[in-house]
Amino acid sequence: MSLSLNEIEATAKRAARGAGYTWGHAEEAGKATRWLCAQGLDGVWALASLLHQNLAHAPEKHAPCISGDTWTGTDVLCPLATGCALSDSAEVLRAAPVTLTNVNAPALLLPFASNAARILNSGVSITIDGAEAQTDGLTLHLTGAIPDQAQSVTVRLAEVAPPTQRQQSRATPDPAAWSVLTRFAHRTYAPATEESRLRGAGAGLSDND
Amino acid sequence: MNETGRHIARRDPAQVMRLSRLGSLHQCRLSFMRQLTRRMAREEWTFTRPVFAIDANGVGHAVYTAQGPDHAYSLVAFAHDLPPEKRSDRVIAEAWDATFTLFDGVPTAQDIERLGQNVPLQEAGRVSEHELSLSRANRSVRLWAHVVDRLADGQQPDLDQIYDVGYLMRTTAVYGSGKFGAADREKTADRPELSAPFQTEMLSVYLIRTFVRDLVQHMARAKGGENTADLDPKIARRLGIGNSTGLGMAPFIVNHPILFNNWIMVREEAIARVRSLPRASDAEIAQFQNIFDRSTLSISWWRSEHPVQIRKLADMTSDIQAIASHLDGDALTQDAPWDRLITWAEEALSEEGQELLASLVLEPYGDLVDGLASCMADSNTNAQIIDGAMPVSKARELILNNFEWALALDWAAEPNCARAWYVSEEKLEPRLGERFEEPIAEYEQPLAPARDAAAAYKALADWHGDIPIREFLLQHPEHRHTIRRAQIGRIAPYGEIRDNTISADVMPIDMLRAKLSFFGATHFDPRSDRWVRICMYAGAPYPEDLTNDTADTWVYPEPAA
Repeated sequence: MSLSLNEIEATAKRAARGAGYTWGHAEEAGKATRWLCAQGLDGVWALASLLHQNLAHAPEKHAPCISGDTWTGTDVLCPLATGCALSDSAEVLRAAPVTLTNVNAPALLLPFASNAARILNSGVSITIDGAEAQTDGLTLHLTGAIPDQAQSVTVRLAEVAPPTQRQQSRATPDPAAWSVLTRFAHRTYAPATEESRLRGAGAGLSDND
Repeated sequence: MNETGRHIARRDPAQVMRLSRLGSLHQCRLSFMRQLTRRMAREEWTFTRPVFAIDANGVGHAVYTAQGPDHAYSLVAFAHDLPPEKRSDRVIAEAWDATFTLFDGVPTAQDIERLGQNVPLQEAGRVSEHELSLSRANRSVRLWAHVVDRLADGQQPDLDQIYDVGYLMRTTAVYGSGKFGAADREKTADRPELSAPFQTEMLSVYLIRTFVRDLVQHMARAKGGENTADLDPKIARRLGIGNSTGLGMAPFIVNHPILFNNWIMVREEAIARVRSLPRASDAEIAQFQNIFDRSTLSISWWRSEHPVQIRKLADMTSDIQAIASHLDGDALTQDAPWDRLITWAEEALSEEGQELLASLVLEPYGDLVDGLASCMADSNTNAQIIDGAMPVSKARELILNNFEWALALDWAAEPNCARAWYVSEEKLEPRLGERFEEPIAEYEQPLAPARDAAAAYKALADWHGDIPIREFLLQHPEHRHTIRRAQIGRIAPYGEIRDNTISADVMPIDMLRAKLSFFGATHFDPRSDRWVRICMYAGAPYPEDLTNDTADTWVYPEPAA
């Protein structure tokens, strides 16, 4: 199915919330998924595989402990919590590269690296095990396949090679992954009751006038 | 600055962003409908109706094409025979009297075939990147039957009934920006004619109005045959398109603080520029007086059965009398006349009257204010990125800027958090529920920025002011959305509502009206505290009459000769 990027973002945000993320992280998940889709990557698939891991149930275990240039968690790192920290800490990249160990769904780090590039007004490269990505904030140069889980990710300032990805205005995500997101998103919808139908929207008067 | 050196600042957000004032806003010359009609006239757009295939039962489809300098846009309209028991303005409706899409370009027969299988289903169908909007409308049963019967009988409709209702159909949703598969706004945002906010939606409704006029004539003729009268163009001109709106618009203005700020700030800047003028010429005074008189005529046709709006209309009636007597004096011939007028209004009038005047004083000054319209869109995607290096002390200060008033509220007290915004699984209808009476709290949407700001401020209390906010956010991701909003406040001083959006006595219609006033809506008619009907384009020229002379002040009716 051909989806608008607005639909991708809205559903991804709701899905992340439905999976237990905070609203702030859910907003980031929506924008990150949209950014990946705009680069022609299946961000929906990446987010669906993350949400399956159920990391939001013990968020503190999957958030990075930041000490020096190497960031690790007490368990596998969540790319949303880690990506937010990366974007928020963009300026530390000016001093030295940052290395992350053991990251789930690491494709979701790319949009946050792009935030860092925008904040620093500089190219940023991100090495995910054997894959190499470079972004200036808007475009993406990618070589190699991004793994489902990365042992080691290194983020540094870099010259950016010409984009390998064409910007997309639509997305056709993996159907199974899309239905995973819609299923998680559904958890944010209140079950309909007769009372809420009458009171909640506040109509109730006849429209046949 | 002006020649006397006096410069009146924009009004304080603390004054402007109260819900009762936002719920008293009126259209002005910066409104999105008027921006569109002025542009279409200036650029000499042409309009055609290549298809009108509707049978005697009112079932079929039609195409209306608007051709601008670089792009054409076509309304594809589907007319249906709707049983009365299915007629509902709610999102949860599943059938309508008419359904529409705005096609980017001119549709082929294949496009129309595809759209015919999807557009009538609305949310249950899919449109594509070729479509820019998706919408539907229901008849005003009463006025529709009256107009069809009269015309079929060889007579014109009764003017009082036209004024009482104001429209033959009301739209119940106009979806744009990528909804249900339509093109994202990014596809068209760089086109001059669609770069201002909601121009796609306003163009859709403009063409819908023309279709509805043609359809009622067609239905009258099907009934009355050769004796049928042609609807008097002067009466047709008075007919607008209604809109029936529920809670969906309230989350919109909370979820788009930069966009909402840009609308309010542009209007405030326009008001400040006019207030800063050292004097008004005779021609400007005459123009203002003329527009004021005509606006009172429009207001005299404003009907509502809702007690709150009845009271507000009574206030406005006395406001109008007070303004009229005030203008009889030398109010506008002194120096700084517009500033004096606005200052006088703050003491003498209700908020309805104050905001009416604030909109009306812009009318003689198109050259001074219309250029501001280009600042009403939001293209600042970088503003969503949090600045993690900001010190905690600065984040606290930003929260105080918007929400100092909210910090002292007891947010656990039932009256202060009695409501919760949620989305129903039924067609994802946005709703507002009673937190302590319904099982909805776990589904709550983040639409209480004031409460969340107070919570974040409290959590920040233990943090040293010099620490970068990123360290706080790493430990407290639950406050991330609030810190983002606080930082957005640096570029959006009018982005936050300065009232409690979940209190026991919140009136969501205030939020709906704020948004609808910027569309250019008139005759707000609340059906409840969370539902409102309005009128759009009443008085506007139809395509064949659209010229530079008719394109702007149509919202103010000329008195009958």
